[in-house]
Amino acid sequence: MKARRTLAITKKVLRSLRHDRRTAAFLVLMPIFMIAIFGYTFGGEVEDVEVYVIDLDEGVGPVDLSDLVISHLREDDSLRVVDVVRTGDGIDDPVAYGREKVAEGEAWGCIAFPANFTMDMISFSPGNSTQSEAATVTLFLDGSNYNIAQTVTGAVRSSLSQMLVDDLGIAQPVSVAQDMVYGEGRDFLDTFAPGVISLAVMMVTFMISIISFIHERTTGTLARLLSTPVTEAEVVTGYALAFGLIGLVQSVVVLATALLLFGVQVEGSLPLVLLTVFLLGVGMQGLGFLLSANARTEFQAVQFIPIILFPSILLSGVFWPLESVPEVLRPISYLLPLTYAVDGVRSVMVRGWGLEEIWPDLTVLLLFALAMLSLSVVLMRRR
Amino acid sequence: MVRTEGLRKEYGKILAVQDLCLNIPSGCIYGLIGPNGSGKTTAIKVLMGLVKATSGTAEVLGRRVPVQGKDGRVSYMPQELALYTDLTVRENLQLFAELNGLEPAAFAEREKEVLEVVGLSERRDELVGRLSGGMQHRASLACAMVNRPTLMFLDEPTVGVDPELRAGFWEHFRALKAEGMTVVLTTHYMDEASRCDLVGMMHRGRLIAEGTPDQLLRDSGSENLEDAFLVFIRRCQE
Repeated sequence: MKARRTLAITKKVLRSLRHDRRTAAFLVLMPIFMIAIFGYTFGGEVEDVEVYVIDLDEGVGPVDLSDLVISHLREDDSLRVVDVVRTGDGIDDPVAYGREKVAEGEAWGCIAFPANFTMDMISFSPGNSTQSEAATVTLFLDGSNYNIAQTVTGAVRSSLSQMLVDDLGIAQPVSVAQDMVYGEGRDFLDTFAPGVISLAVMMVTFMISIISFIHERTTGTLARLLSTPVTEAEVVTGYALAFGLIGLVQSVVVLATALLLFGVQVEGSLPLVLLTVFLLGVGMQGLGFLLSANARTEFQAVQFIPIILFPSILLSGVFWPLESVPEVLRPISYLLPLTYAVDGVRSVMVRGWGLEEIWPDLTVLLLFALAMLSLSVVLMRRR
Repeated sequence: MVRTEGLRKEYGKILAVQDLCLNIPSGCIYGLIGPNGSGKTTAIKVLMGLVKATSGTAEVLGRRVPVQGKDGRVSYMPQELALYTDLTVRENLQLFAELNGLEPAAFAEREKEVLEVVGLSERRDELVGRLSGGMQHRASLACAMVNRPTLMFLDEPTVGVDPELRAGFWEHFRALKAEGMTVVLTTHYMDEASRCDLVGMMHRGRLIAEGTPDQLLRDSGSENLEDAFLVFIRRCQE
């Protein structure tokens, strides 16, 4: 294999991009677009969920515990208390009224305190629960959006707990001591950014590669290249280098965006992140080539894109951990190269791991890249 | 220079080339003539090592095809444009020069020469995709010439080319021959056959006649090569 001929192919791919400004812009802007959209969408907290409160609590003397809970609910940014309906407000059945508000879609939830809420709390004896009733707060929820329903439930629990601990000074019999081994002070975006970097590189290198190769074949340029002394291995390696470089530029762009826009941090070595992404880019380029060889037209070739893309997005741990993937589908997760890239990049960026820890991921990606490139060469020779 | 023995190529049930025996001497313009589908392009592709023959042997410049690889002395201009339309004329030339092992200093000189020959010196920095069809054809020929090959295979180089440009192309071919190059071209235009030094007539994958244009006219007793071609087809069928 001659370096000069290999680099001539690499140069050709990069020069094409220089003249094709739109594709070049797509390669750079698309990952920025992805991280920005995903970042703002997934990174945002649920806020201002509209709820009604029905407070029928009669209290015990001057003590009214529901008022304390309501004041905490009002302080909670995730909720917006639209109205608090009390017994004397002239509504016949306040609880039915609150439920109706949820049913009509005017609020996501209704939180109802019964008349004996304070009384039940005061008289409740934890050691003798058979003789005393625990106080109950009723939640009417619109469960059509799971996240919002969870947010309302969480806010109510947290307000109740604040009332008990902060206002009444009741010590909890048990507490959880949490010590973060990795990811101290990190939020969802820190976990998510490594996934998006890998996903962006995978998507773009795979898509461009599959289209480029079918174009090479249908326009006759590939045959013309191979009529010169250049070998199949040199063509494939030249392309792989070009796409690896494109992947590197993309990951730098995504990383910079993630750092500047969302304050994402890189705990470990940046070159190691780039190496992982480079191997992924090279492998996906090879896969793109292999699949394009099985297509006769560009239209047929693009049909492969969703077949590879959808499982990768859903099953590689980009957005959800592999543990949440159903067991029956998990073997597919382990077959997807993106799984290893996401794991490797995330381990370096969040855990600060080095080569000695992520070598299994790198080995899989390296073997995948080598296998794809070798198969591409074999396929070209069998023409 | 080019020699084949019993060359045969099958695509599934289709027999594209059968029992092709060629012996093309150096320094000539050899025309492989025949209608579309007669096996000319397949024969050229086998000789360029782009397609594997089903059986038979082929030798180009003393090297067995495709086992002994290529060394940049042979070049190929396919029937379709087969250039990178998103690269400039110069970048296309540079790519094929580098792949053929031309040194950068030699390329600078050769680039000027070939662009002058095809009349594209002024357009060298334009994207191939923005050139007219005729100019793209000339750019394609320039890429085939850039490595100063000993042997050129040109597949239907004059298809879709206007008469003026076609006349220009034939001037180039003769100029290349004068430089000592061997040109093997395919065409289905019978009038072009008379411009070749040697002609091989192909029909349904077979070589049905071979010789100089004068010889073929004499042998067939015809006044033009088109009639001669029909005579040879009839003889073949008898």
